[in-house]
Amino acid sequence: MRSRPNMACVLKIALAALCTAPPAGALDITLPAETASFKASNLPGYPLVQQNCLVCHSAQYVQFQPPSSPRGYWEATVRKMKKTFGAQFADEDVAAMVDYLVKTYGAERVAAGEVGASTAYARR
Amino acid sequence: MERDNDPHRPEKARRRALKALGAIGTAAAASHPALQALAATAARVVLPFDNGERELVVFPQKRPLILLTSRPPQLETPFAVFNEGVLTPNDAFFVRYHWSGIPTSIDPQAYRLRVGGKVDTPLELSLEELKRLAEPVEIIAIDQCSGNSRGHFTPRANGGQLSNGAMGNARWTGLPLKKVLEKAGVQAGAVQVSFHGLDRPPLEGSPGFVKALTIDHALDGEVMLAWAMNGEDLPMLNGYPVRLIVPGHYGTYWIKHLSDIQVLDKPFEGFWMSTAYRIPDNPCACVEPGTTPAKTVPIGRMNVRSFITSVADGAQVPAGRETTVRGIAFDGGYGITEVALSADGGGSWRAAHLGKDLGRYSFREWKAAFTPPGKGTFELKVRAVNRIGESQPMNALWNAAGYMRNVVETTRVVAA
Repeated sequence: MRSRPNMACVLKIALAALCTAPPAGALDITLPAETASFKASNLPGYPLVQQNCLVCHSAQYVQFQPPSSPRGYWEATVRKMKKTFGAQFADEDVAAMVDYLVKTYGAERVAAGEVGASTAYARR
Repeated sequence: MERDNDPHRPEKARRRALKALGAIGTAAAASHPALQALAATAARVVLPFDNGERELVVFPQKRPLILLTSRPPQLETPFAVFNEGVLTPNDAFFVRYHWSGIPTSIDPQAYRLRVGGKVDTPLELSLEELKRLAEPVEIIAIDQCSGNSRGHFTPRANGGQLSNGAMGNARWTGLPLKKVLEKAGVQAGAVQVSFHGLDRPPLEGSPGFVKALTIDHALDGEVMLAWAMNGEDLPMLNGYPVRLIVPGHYGTYWIKHLSDIQVLDKPFEGFWMSTAYRIPDNPCACVEPGTTPAKTVPIGRMNVRSFITSVADGAQVPAGRETTVRGIAFDGGYGITEVALSADGGGSWRAAHLGKDLGRYSFREWKAAFTPPGKGTFELKVRAVNRIGESQPMNALWNAAGYMRNVVETTRVVAA
């Protein structure tokens, strides 16, 4: 990270020197490591989603969608990623990806424990 | 910046993304102990809707904020921050990006702002040239995400599942956009101005995040190019070194890392104007839940909102003693003229006392006395009215994109 210009100015003013311009140098940041990953699954869409979605964005885009999201939402979204946003996956992969997404994160989640866990946070 | 020298060009961003993917894949496959330890110790919050569990994560120049997405970074301000003061601190200010090719290193000496299209003199301004172009101005204005509070929609709306923290109020320092456009000389026939920043899609063929304003709006003297926020340089994740400020309008127009301004002689047709960020073309920007509107228009000015900030839902207050309830109210720039508080779920209302007027684009603080007559649960509601008589609906309005939520908010407190 860049040195703080104010501090530099304070020091220079203390030395009765002119301080008219901020110090040169780039502002650099380092982003923290990603913490989210897709839920492991035996469904054929799991490796496809890892390969095709994470190229552009982190897993939270999927993970945090409302668990009530129906198959139609996931279908439309996967197709939008390819058609509108230029994602590079084959049309024949769409069905498997949608199936994994709706069964892992959407309205067709199969594990009972999942349903219980999510409704625990329902609005009061 | 020449495209060939652009460090954020899609090929490089894609390689970075693939590298990151490799690291994640390995860690996840091995259920790496370090990853498990991190998950176990990370601070968490639960936003009040289904699937609302989130991590609090520290990003550069930021305090721990609610993590919506890591790549690109999308961070929500914890709501308690809005009770700390009327200006939102830079290190707590929310972050929203659309594409993962975000700049992580910017040399202010090398930065250039280009102004082109239908102008007499195309410009390429350094940061120093921009700052010297006219007398700097200041404005206090709210930046609010179009989808702020989307997670509270019923039925749910897909998109970023935010609670109420994708907003912030800051003192912005910069120049009126008008001065820059006048310097370039807007030609006859100009109808719109488009804006693009240094953030880029990770893939070729994705629509860059470009937004447009009408020429009259761009020349209104209020739209600004800001280089400082609350007296400091903009944090990188809020648009360093220069961002667009569109007072009263949703954050989608507030382009970060602004690098390219084009004056256009026909309406801009890009994805982010013609397909995304559109609302039903009617006065409420709403439809019956589950239906689609006949016609849509680009989202524009913010509607009226108000919040209680001094007590959270479920908080305890002393029974039979006076509690001062405080909060904020705002709108799209007409200015808040009235705030009322109800302590009985909307049955009766009492006028709140308005705080200092920091301008019609700022949060307006308010406070009201509340004395619970006895023990029990009380439903506090707050409602604001602006200068042209607009207010807030008692029942939430709905649209498929989850934009512009402004229902009268309810905070339940327990008197004990």
